[in-house]
Amino acid sequence: MSYYDIDAILTDAEKVPCKFELDIPELGYLDNNPAQPLKSGTTVGLPLWLAELLALANRAPSSADEEAKSFVSLNLPPSLSNEVMSALKADPRAVPLRDQSHNFYGLGTRMLDLFEEKEICAILRRTFVTRAADIALHAGKAGATDDMGIGGGEEFLRGLEEWERKLFKKAHDGAKGSKEWMEGVKKHRR
Amino acid sequence: MALSLPSGLVPTEVAFLCEMEMITIVPRQRLESIPMLSGKTPALRPPRRADLPLWLALLLKKQRRANIVPPPWLLPASLQEIVHLETNYDPEAFSPPPPPPMRSDGRGVARPYATTTRSGNEDKELILAPPFLPSCTQDAPSGYLPYHWLEIAETLLAHAADDIPNAPEVRALLRDLQEVRAAKMRASTRHLEGGGGVLNIRGVGAMELAESRGFVLGVVDGVRKLGASAEAGRREELERGDDEDESDDDMGL
Amino acid sequence: MDIDDILREVDPASQSIPAETRDLQALTRAWVSERSSPELLQYVHILPYPPIAPTTPVLTRRFPSVYSWPADGLFERINDRIKQQIERVEEMTGDMDPKTNFALIVIQTELERFKYLVRSYLRARIAKVFEKSIAATADLRARLSETEQAYATRHQALLHNHYLSSFLSAFPPTLQNLNDTAGNISMIETPDLDTAVFIRLLKETLVEGHGTDMDDDMDGKSGDIVILRWSDAKSLVDSGHAEVV
Repeated sequence: MSYYDIDAILTDAEKVPCKFELDIPELGYLDNNPAQPLKSGTTVGLPLWLAELLALANRAPSSADEEAKSFVSLNLPPSLSNEVMSALKADPRAVPLRDQSHNFYGLGTRMLDLFEEKEICAILRRTFVTRAADIALHAGKAGATDDMGIGGGEEFLRGLEEWERKLFKKAHDGAKGSKEWMEGVKKHRR
Repeated sequence: MALSLPSGLVPTEVAFLCEMEMITIVPRQRLESIPMLSGKTPALRPPRRADLPLWLALLLKKQRRANIVPPPWLLPASLQEIVHLETNYDPEAFSPPPPPPMRSDGRGVARPYATTTRSGNEDKELILAPPFLPSCTQDAPSGYLPYHWLEIAETLLAHAADDIPNAPEVRALLRDLQEVRAAKMRASTRHLEGGGGVLNIRGVGAMELAESRGFVLGVVDGVRKLGASAEAGRREELERGDDEDESDDDMGL
Repeated sequence: MDIDDILREVDPASQSIPAETRDLQALTRAWVSERSSPELLQYVHILPYPPIAPTTPVLTRRFPSVYSWPADGLFERINDRIKQQIERVEEMTGDMDPKTNFALIVIQTELERFKYLVRSYLRARIAKVFEKSIAATADLRARLSETEQAYATRHQALLHNHYLSSFLSAFPPTLQNLNDTAGNISMIETPDLDTAVFIRLLKETLVEGHGTDMDDDMDGKSGDIVILRWSDAKSLVDSGHAEVV
């Protein structure tokens, strides 16, 4: 991850579900309950950067026979839930990833760093490659017609998350560049 | 003033590169040798053919000082053969690039044109590669697309169509080639899911690379990032396996 | 000079490709590599000319054989030739004979092409200096030419000054660093050396590449165009077994 990378920063701000492992006074408002302390066992969505910090940091055991515990235990965000994974397994093209998360794959790689989830890893890769082939097709058409809103493909393109949008732009720029060069050459035709 | 171009040559840069390819001309006027930075041009004596870099050949053509001899691979029969190869031989791979040009070493032994050594030091040899290999002169083989095939073909069709036999058919065949090869380029990314370490796309052309570079490399890099944790886990396991082997060896001693 | 050298001198195969063409190939390759690789490469190395006896024939003076080829002194040779060529243009400009005139057009067109190559090569390098704070690491600094080093140093100083006067001076001194590594994120941006590249094999060679599920190797043939990580490609490129395309 690089310091000035906007996408990485935005991914860091994505919320992930965290279950608190202890009561915390005066934080009840996080659970819409400002009068009460935040109860142990409550699940709250926290931005990834904070969640990671709290999940990995150990607090001092409150008694000698208690093991060192973290403040919160992390869970997979809804965008990587079983339902979404099953839908992607069935047809990667049919899921508008953008609705799951603008930084779907970015969040995915961060979670895979924290959880050993071989199946999710495999599904994400197949999804990425399968959708990429469609992205190339649409971008090629758009590059050739100079028209970013392509007939029929709007729904699919609207559902692209950030990595995919970047990929679309690269594919589009490539097609556009070579088309422009071709047309430039042909103008000289006598 | 930083460079705003993306990493990797863009189509206009590829076109600049292809203009350094040597091409055969038939001069219509005498022209003395010109001392260029890239070496002296041959003295032109009509109708003796000569090889010149494409940019200079085009300059002569524009001024009607020369006609261009299209490379043998650009003739309709050759292109038909290549279209046949592309569509029927292997649905995934590109047709093979031309074999490396050979030349006599003066002792009756043929050796690759591409290698030039200086001071006999093998470490310091310079191997020529496109556009500095003669793949578009009259001596180039037919039936093979050289690295700069598309750019050369389009440029010649635009500036010297009257020198190309049956130009309309050549144009149509080129379109066919472009289409079937573009589909292959797109299909190549389908092999990337497993994230293998090496993918050979022998026979691809420079303009095709320029067009697809950002996309293909974007997919490769994306798969690598998505698989980074899996890869790290695999390497850890490998290392652990190696350690165990080593301890076995130790016991053997 | 031993017998092999003499034989090579009379060997038409090594003579038929003029040194000018080889230098143009070397310059072009340097340009393409710099445009297409994720990290800044070693500057095409420049060595000062050795003292030469005035009787030395022109050709050997321009291509002193003590220098290994191709890279060493490449830019100097090319700059030398460009200078000579510009002088020639100046001499020819007065001549109104249409025949010389055409030669002049050819020479000037070619000069422009060389200018483009050299400039695009330098710009591609400067762009990398710009993007990554190259001044910060000694390893990368060593790849820069002297003028590039001066450029990088000044650029870094100007940037720091600009930051200071714009906003950084309002921060406490401990937060003014531009090379902090807090939170496992370095402020110094480094290129991702695992970025994929395209290379062309120039010789038969074993190609090994790290992959996600498996590491691959293949017996590469000359002319193969291969996609692999730059970290796996670099040694093949450095040893002359492959070029970046």
